[in-house]
Amino acid sequence: MSNVQLSNSTLERLAARRTFPLHARTSACRNLFGPVDHDELNREMKLQLREISERDQRRWNFNFETDTPCSGDYEWEETPVESTPVFYQDSVQIGRRRVTVPVKAKQCLDMTPRDCTTQDVHTPRPVEDRLSSPEATIPRTSEVNQENCADKLNSGKKSRKSIVCVRRKRTSTTDVITTTTTHITDFYMKRKRITNSTETNSLKAFCTARL
Amino acid sequence: MAQDSGVQYEPVAEIGGGAYGTVYKARDRQSGQFVALKSVRVQTDQDGLPLSTVREVALLKRLEQFDHPNVVKLMDVCATLRTDQETKVTLVFEHVDQDLKTYLEKAPAPGLPASQIQDLMRQLLCGLAFLHSNCIVHRDLKPENILVTSRGQVKLADFGLARIYSCHMALTPVVVTLWYRAPEVLLQSSYATPVDIWSTGCIFAEMFRRKPLFCGESEMDQLGKIFEVIGLPAEEDWPSGVTLLQRNFSPLSHRPITEFVPEISHEGADLLLEMLTFDPQRRISALSALDHAYFQEG
Repeated sequence: MSNVQLSNSTLERLAARRTFPLHARTSACRNLFGPVDHDELNREMKLQLREISERDQRRWNFNFETDTPCSGDYEWEETPVESTPVFYQDSVQIGRRRVTVPVKAKQCLDMTPRDCTTQDVHTPRPVEDRLSSPEATIPRTSEVNQENCADKLNSGKKSRKSIVCVRRKRTSTTDVITTTTTHITDFYMKRKRITNSTETNSLKAFCTARL
Repeated sequence: MAQDSGVQYEPVAEIGGGAYGTVYKARDRQSGQFVALKSVRVQTDQDGLPLSTVREVALLKRLEQFDHPNVVKLMDVCATLRTDQETKVTLVFEHVDQDLKTYLEKAPAPGLPASQIQDLMRQLLCGLAFLHSNCIVHRDLKPENILVTSRGQVKLADFGLARIYSCHMALTPVVVTLWYRAPEVLLQSSYATPVDIWSTGCIFAEMFRRKPLFCGESEMDQLGKIFEVIGLPAEEDWPSGVTLLQRNFSPLSHRPITEFVPEISHEGADLLLEMLTFDPQRRISALSALDHAYFQEG
């Protein structure tokens, strides 16, 4: 029984290392809900973001990414800042400071209304391309950013958030359920044993703590 | 809608020379209402949006449920990822044509009638009392942040976002107006709801004068200009633990406020002095100000 447990904990530790590559050796870290599929999580997050963007775009018939109006109920126009209250001017926030920008000149934008298709959201923005600084292309940077985000979520510091993510993953996609073999009941069992505190279990608790 | 496809947007001429940006504004064909976009580009790190920004947005959305008539309506918040380091947060606000600054500039020669000033002040204080009761300190109240609709309705703007400003603002090269800053802010001692009442007092005076009351060029200069009017406060009223000391200023006794705001009524002058009280603890609150005898005049 204890052998099984030990091998279980080894597996757990390995899984934890994969899940928290940076965190594994730094402080106590328990892998409560099984390994996280980061690729899956990334796809999930991107899908959610895209859905939100599409919803915003449909509601306002305006593409917020490219700053281009689409056709719809709202009749958009671009007005020079001088003829509108200062309050509506764009601003940049750096750290905790905020600066009103007449910084970058916006180039001539094509104001012809376009269809608010999902295509607009997916593909790199034509206007942005013309204007943008030599920073990396959009799809790639967003991917990196989300990866970072996912790591943070599972760093053990914000455990509540990671629970939410895992849950969302389970409920929304069926194929993930088959790969995720850890159940919440497994976790309850082990917790109980640790609190019973036999010698092997306290050793195991120690090992887990050292992970 | 079939007619929609027929509407064409004319290509707008290139905005010349890198000087100014534009503001997107739209009319809802169904309701006839106007909306405008305000983008805030937020620098992000690996944690994503700064927590302060997320909190501000949440607060703004929560306030929206009260639908206060003297607060600018926030219709939506849309975030788009721009790059790794930057997220663009676009706020969809109701659009109001002018702010109090242009409203005062446009007022014909003798200035605004007393009754109109009273009405504007009542609305301004109503909006402020609402924000203060929700524990929001505007911190940057000035004529540019007070919108006035064509029907004379006052709407406070830029408040939630103003909280993102910090006291370090003074250290940045960006020019920020000091004219409406409370003495305790200039002295970097405390920042609570009374700071907005001070600004409101300055704006009250400006409605009569049609020019700002205290136009300082530095913190020191601003304080000097304030003391020329309200007099140098007694040493025991001076906040403790601040760099600038009372003895750094030349002794001045207060002068009658009507010297600076001649058109103001007796009750109006009394309210103004209550607002321009040096000690934030003794300064009148927005709610008490609404009960002031000045608002019974008519």
